[in-house]
Amino acid sequence: MFGYLVVLVISAATYALFGLGLNLQWGFTGLINFGHVAFMTVGAYTTVLLSAQGVPMAIAVLIGAALAAILGLLIGLSTLRLREDYLAIVTIGVSELIRLVVLNEEWLTRGTFGVQGFPLPLANLNGDYKTNLMILSLLVLGLVFWGLEWLVKSPWGRVLKAIREDEQVAKALGKNVFWYKLQSFMLGGAIAGVAGAFYAWQSTTIYPSSFEPLITFNVWTMVVLGGAGSNLGTILGAVIFWGYDSLTRFVLPQIIQLDDARLGALRIMIIGLILMVLMVWRPQGILGKKEELTLGK
Amino acid sequence: MANNSHNPLNSASDESPNGNRQRLLEIQAQTANGSANTKARAETEPPRPALPPLLAASGLCKSFGGIAAVDNAEIQVAQGSITGLIGPNGAGKTTLFNLLSNFISPDRGRIIFDGEPIQSLPPHQIAQRGMVRTFQVARVLSRLSVMENMLLAAQKQTGENFWSVWWQAQQIQREERQLREQATAILESIGLAHMASAYAGALSGGQRKLLEMGRALMAQPKLILLDEPAAGVNPTLIKEICDRIITWNREGLSFLIIEHNMDVIMSLCDRVWVLAEGRNLAVGTPEEIQNNPQVLEAYLGQ
Ligand SMILES: Nc1ncnc2c1ncn2[C@@H]1O[C@H](COP(=O)(O)OP(=O)(O)OP(=O)(O)O)[C@@H](O)[C@H]1O
Ligand SMILES: [Mg+2]
Repeated sequence: MFGYLVVLVISAATYALFGLGLNLQWGFTGLINFGHVAFMTVGAYTTVLLSAQGVPMAIAVLIGAALAAILGLLIGLSTLRLREDYLAIVTIGVSELIRLVVLNEEWLTRGTFGVQGFPLPLANLNGDYKTNLMILSLLVLGLVFWGLEWLVKSPWGRVLKAIREDEQVAKALGKNVFWYKLQSFMLGGAIAGVAGAFYAWQSTTIYPSSFEPLITFNVWTMVVLGGAGSNLGTILGAVIFWGYDSLTRFVLPQIIQLDDARLGALRIMIIGLILMVLMVWRPQGILGKKEELTLGK
Repeated sequence: MANNSHNPLNSASDESPNGNRQRLLEIQAQTANGSANTKARAETEPPRPALPPLLAASGLCKSFGGIAAVDNAEIQVAQGSITGLIGPNGAGKTTLFNLLSNFISPDRGRIIFDGEPIQSLPPHQIAQRGMVRTFQVARVLSRLSVMENMLLAAQKQTGENFWSVWWQAQQIQREERQLREQATAILESIGLAHMASAYAGALSGGQRKLLEMGRALMAQPKLILLDEPAAGVNPTLIKEICDRIITWNREGLSFLIIEHNMDVIMSLCDRVWVLAEGRNLAVGTPEEIQNNPQVLEAYLGQ
């Protein structure tokens, strides 16, 4: 039981981290990223492949984050000047592209066999590996949360929020909108890259199939559930999502007799339903601000 | 900084500091073409100093799908002046603003601002150089507070640089404090101080116009382009806005104002440009424009 709780906390922390990246892009800057999992993939593979080559773990993670940011830069340079829907389309395409590259470039990623046996952090420390990892993930989550709060409350964050509201106004007031969007997109990507490293450490094996578009869907659910534009809301969203996940995993089979595949589908249906109900009843998300929705544009 | 002597409205030495205000009251008591007003203006018109214009655009063209919205138009704004831009609906005034600020890039034409060509600069750089525009339909950042709307407008903020956010926290705090004071003063002058912490989206239409103007001011520009500042604003408030514009103008700020309210144009402007069907129709003092038969025809004959 304790072991399961530890895994649950690591998962929630990893997704919270992942969600904070998306929340910076969407919640604070209004950038629609439907391929967030791509950044996670890049972060995860870079970290494990480099550390397997003997690169120190911390440096491997940083390089993973940097590469994820560079992916953000490339996507951003090509689309952020265009209308916002282009970004949405391109991110979907890029995330599939990244997954296919990981699947097919076997010399690098070992394709469907996946990567196993890579070094794990804190592995030679005393105590249980997962418990250590849990503490580490919470520390990193706390650090990133604090950093983001600091950022979004600064004048830099104010510019992002202005862009989210009306980029023409930001331009008219002398802000380099394109550059700020790029910064936000890259930073959000880098954070997702770090989340990727935790994902890999938690699973201890990674496959291309670990990075399905469903992951992006899930993280959107968390951000919207918690309230876009609220960092605390995103974390809460991740906790609720994982609470729901494990609750239904254990409770549902006892109520309804279904095979695994159908049960999985049912669980997704229920979360979809919850999301729909939430959108009607509390469209701003759990921690979103109600007043903001009733404002005239 | 340009000073009052460039501005015929403000330079009349025999006027009390409240002269403009009184004249404004006078004018508003009359109809747009009251003759007393015309005389008062003629007496106070000093010789025009030969400074290069702050803004000079020429040969501007822009068509939308074959229709020329702006057709070889020209406009100039003298240093320290309040310049008017009028014309019937659809004349191309707003489009001209969009071209000047490069929100829409012109098909052809040349724009000199403060001695340098700006027609190929992106909009944000034009704003950074000191030419800030407002929008015909006021655009406020609804989910930001009124105060945040104001603070955003300030230029060269240390805290807008990603790295400085981490390394120069104290400097940023200091700046924020100063900017807040500055913003409060402006908000007081436009009667929005009590709304400072409200969401900007909660403001009424007229209040949004005011906020937009205050925000432009917060950027400390050399020239503000106002697109119909009086539209949808109640008469008492219009008068107050005009007073503000005159005060700010005295402090050295130039204005280019699009306005359909002729009282506003008559009471504020040193010089008025008339646009019709995308082309220059006339330019002159408000009196000249008012008595120009071509202008009357353009307005009546549409
Ligand atoms: N983005 C656009 N696309 C197509 N046509 C446009 C566009 N913007 C303006 N126009 C056209 O250009 C002409 C001039 O429009 P503009 O908004 O500049 O007029 P205006 O002088 O500001 O009028 P008003 O006094 O009513 O505000 C109009 O015929 C309008 O339909
Ligand atoms: Mg217009």
